[in-house]
Amino acid sequence: MNYRCVFQLLSLLLIVEAVVMIGCGVLSWFVGDGAVAGFGIAALVVLIVALSLRMAAGRHVRYQLSERDSFWVTSLAWIVVPVMGCLPFMLTGQAHRWVDALFESFSGFTTTGSTIFDDPACLPISVLVWRSLTQWVGGLGLVLLMVALMRRISHGTWYLYDAEFSGTQQRRLYPKLSGSVGRMAIVYVSVSLALVFILLLLGNNPIDSVCLALSTTSTGGFMTSSVGLAGLGNATLIVITLFMFMSGVNLAVIYNVVTFKWRRLHRLDEFRAYVVVYFVAVALSVIALLLAHNDWRSAVGFSLFHIASTISTCGFYAYSPAHWTFGVSVITFFLLFVGASSGATGGGVKVKRILVLTRYIRNYFTRIVYPHAVFNVKVDGMVLTDEYNNKVFAFVFTYLAFVLGGAFLLTLSGCDIPTSVTLAAANMCNLGPVPVDGLLGVSASYLALPTLSKYTLMVLMVAGRIEIFALLAIFSPAYWRKK
Amino acid sequence: MMVSAFDKPIADPKSQLHNAQHGANIAFTTSRRQSAYCKVSSNIKALVRLLGIFLMAEGVLMLLCLIPAIHFVDHSANGILVSGLFTLAVGLYMWISCSDFKVLSDRRLSFVFVVVLWLVLALFGSLPFLATGAVRTFTNAYFETLSGFTSSGATIFEEVQHLPSSILLWRSMSQWIGGFGIILLVLAIAPTLGINKFSLYTAETSIQDPSVSLVGTTGMTVRRMLVVYVLLSAIFVWLYSKTGLPLWDAVNLTFSNISSGGFSIYNDGIASLTAAQQYITALAMLLSGVNFTMLYLLISFRWNKIAGRYEQVRVYLLLFFIMAVLASVALHTRMGYGWSDSVRLSVVQSASVISTTGTMVADTSQWWMPVSFLFVILSLCGGMAGSTSGGIKVMRVMILVRNVRTILKNRLHPSAVNPVRLNGRPVAHPIINNVMVLFFVYALVIIIGVFCLILSGETGTEAIGAMVGCITGYGPGLGVSGGFGNYAAFADVSKWICIAAMLLGRLECITVLVLFYPPLWKLR
Repeated sequence: MNYRCVFQLLSLLLIVEAVVMIGCGVLSWFVGDGAVAGFGIAALVVLIVALSLRMAAGRHVRYQLSERDSFWVTSLAWIVVPVMGCLPFMLTGQAHRWVDALFESFSGFTTTGSTIFDDPACLPISVLVWRSLTQWVGGLGLVLLMVALMRRISHGTWYLYDAEFSGTQQRRLYPKLSGSVGRMAIVYVSVSLALVFILLLLGNNPIDSVCLALSTTSTGGFMTSSVGLAGLGNATLIVITLFMFMSGVNLAVIYNVVTFKWRRLHRLDEFRAYVVVYFVAVALSVIALLLAHNDWRSAVGFSLFHIASTISTCGFYAYSPAHWTFGVSVITFFLLFVGASSGATGGGVKVKRILVLTRYIRNYFTRIVYPHAVFNVKVDGMVLTDEYNNKVFAFVFTYLAFVLGGAFLLTLSGCDIPTSVTLAAANMCNLGPVPVDGLLGVSASYLALPTLSKYTLMVLMVAGRIEIFALLAIFSPAYWRKK
Repeated sequence: MMVSAFDKPIADPKSQLHNAQHGANIAFTTSRRQSAYCKVSSNIKALVRLLGIFLMAEGVLMLLCLIPAIHFVDHSANGILVSGLFTLAVGLYMWISCSDFKVLSDRRLSFVFVVVLWLVLALFGSLPFLATGAVRTFTNAYFETLSGFTSSGATIFEEVQHLPSSILLWRSMSQWIGGFGIILLVLAIAPTLGINKFSLYTAETSIQDPSVSLVGTTGMTVRRMLVVYVLLSAIFVWLYSKTGLPLWDAVNLTFSNISSGGFSIYNDGIASLTAAQQYITALAMLLSGVNFTMLYLLISFRWNKIAGRYEQVRVYLLLFFIMAVLASVALHTRMGYGWSDSVRLSVVQSASVISTTGTMVADTSQWWMPVSFLFVILSLCGGMAGSTSGGIKVMRVMILVRNVRTILKNRLHPSAVNPVRLNGRPVAHPIINNVMVLFFVYALVIIIGVFCLILSGETGTEAIGAMVGCITGYGPGLGVSGGFGNYAAFADVSKWICIAAMLLGRLECITVLVLFYPPLWKLR
């Protein structure tokens, strides 16, 4: 294994993290919210760790990664960075226990958005921004960040890419991975900036605008108030709905649209499915709400907002709990598993996999009816091989197994079964806040959960974020067996 | 064989079933439209006639329940006699009136047949409950009967000890019949209907050696399986009697446990039995989750054929063992039972769960929640393929898990050839994918069912418990329907959802769902 390169990469990531922390410290100094010392010490610690990793790597680093290393890098990055990211919460005194700080940090970097803060409005401004920044950094993908930073890696970048996005064949934007990543990053940054400006223009205060914009584009879901987005104006909600919907779309598609490369936009089966799922879900949700309360305006508004928030796994809420009728819960639960498009910042199983799955099942029934005919499963006009389908199914199976296993661990600390399953699913899919009766009302946080449950959810968040296999690989015996 | 199909009406089911697969070859000389019409009507007649045979058998078995009714003199003889004779008469009428058919040559109807068979058997099977006045509403009677025939063991009776003896026997017997029915379906009927070719029974029949090739023709398979089943039951009746249990209890217990059913004749499950009797029950339940071909080999002393061919036995026993250990530790530390008690309770209950029997050795609804949750997961996993148990089946779970392992291995060694293996033989991707489809359809049905149950007024925990309990054939759920509880408190709509779940689970979802796939009906 190429430890040196792994260490080098990690130290680079940590330096970026430290820089972001210092930035928050400076902000804190400007606004005078008393968190300067906390950020300063945190940044110092992270820098020390980064530098010692760099020292351990030594001078003669071979910038090549094998497939095995890529699993390590991915898993380690998603563990080390969030662990370091918990320091500001602890050192500024906002979180009282390490597990809470860790939970918040993991939830941020994995763009989950489950929070332990009962009332985020009481937090110092710099901590609020730090929370949103963790999501924003995590949304781009730590590994992609690494690739973008480390242009010197001569071999193995696609392994890294695959390790993070297991099994959904992505179309390359650019032959070289760092080129693709750079383009994706540009889209990501400009979308975020655009949203900040629009929110400012609509008259929101700067902190809300920045924090919400970062949470939206990264599909994170940290909010700045305990009542969610309920206090914001209608225009703001519409804009955020639009951007949430957009964040669930493959960044490559957005890039091609923005740069007018229309010719690359043919055969967007996944995008089409995403749109169809969204509007069907909205329609169902409107019907479900109209059955409960006869109020067209709020039914449509809520559905558009809520479904966008769920399908992009953003996890914002803006409406009163009265809207959480049974029908809405059912739709939410199914959408959780559908998730965003592949190549987007959102979590979940991903629309593409669900598309493959449903098409395969239909194909399966057709084969029962016509046993001698040959039918193929196609996505984007390409015939999918049995092997590819198999990988997709295995992923979904493992995903469900993780949710069940996580739910079991949650029951150990006293949650009842439906709550456990919902919490496990919501965090595995990086959605975050879900209203579960008695535990998480719309304004409540994850603070009350027992320690074991918090650790369980953290594991699920990371597993969901890096799409399981990288994490599973380094825990499999085959990985450690000598050749 | 085929010529004989034309020459004389076929009297026994096995040759009809045999002919079913050759049906497509038969050419009709009349015009195409007319021939299509003839074919359809002939096919429906074949279907009705087959049903008639099964109904007659059911009627005869119903009449067997007269024995305890007369022996214990509990005034239920009239009801049983009437329903038994009625069933027999209807069966006979169906059999006679549809004698002029050719062959069952429509594959659509083979799917219909399998589903209708269970529905109709349960329909007539609910007559004794209604005729003797043991059950007031049709919904309850149908629930109880279908639960029996799918060997689920979900009951609507709050107390069973006051029921007439004939009804108790009919309940136990319905499970015993249902248990044999599913083995018949998987190992004998499905291969001849061609169902296994496409889908659900693929895992069983194509990967391990199919029982058909083991013992020759379908007829022989059926006969031998029946012998094994009866023999096994007799052994357990004898074992129970040895421990001093009255013959009546022994027969009922055997019927409901060897078929992985789970109806009890006592109000408190088997909690009042002695430890020895409980362990015998555990053994019966464990055996009910074992592949039937393997049991056949075991009983006929051809042990050398078993070796190396049944990897799923190992996993089955391992899962049982792990569950038993975990549960006994949990019972000891959390519930304050002594070691001997907690081991006994957890061994018996784990056997009950993994074989999806549902016999209760204690009020598990009072047990620690995570243990109940593990029970739910384990019952989803179920017994071995080709057994009377329900669930997804150990073999399929093995394929699913090994597939994930293989994918990981292939990622690490991209150029190595590393197929998923079962019993030492590679399993092709299409087969794995079919297993996957079954898994996903199963999961989807469960989720939808849970939501439907919540919508009809059950709480979340109860809905999950009931849905998993019914679809896997475990029976008891969580909360009111768990432990020594029952489904009496459920709304009528919920009961019908549970009925649907039991049927879907027993026929492994796809056999039923394909009937709702429009292209099936556009065929030809």
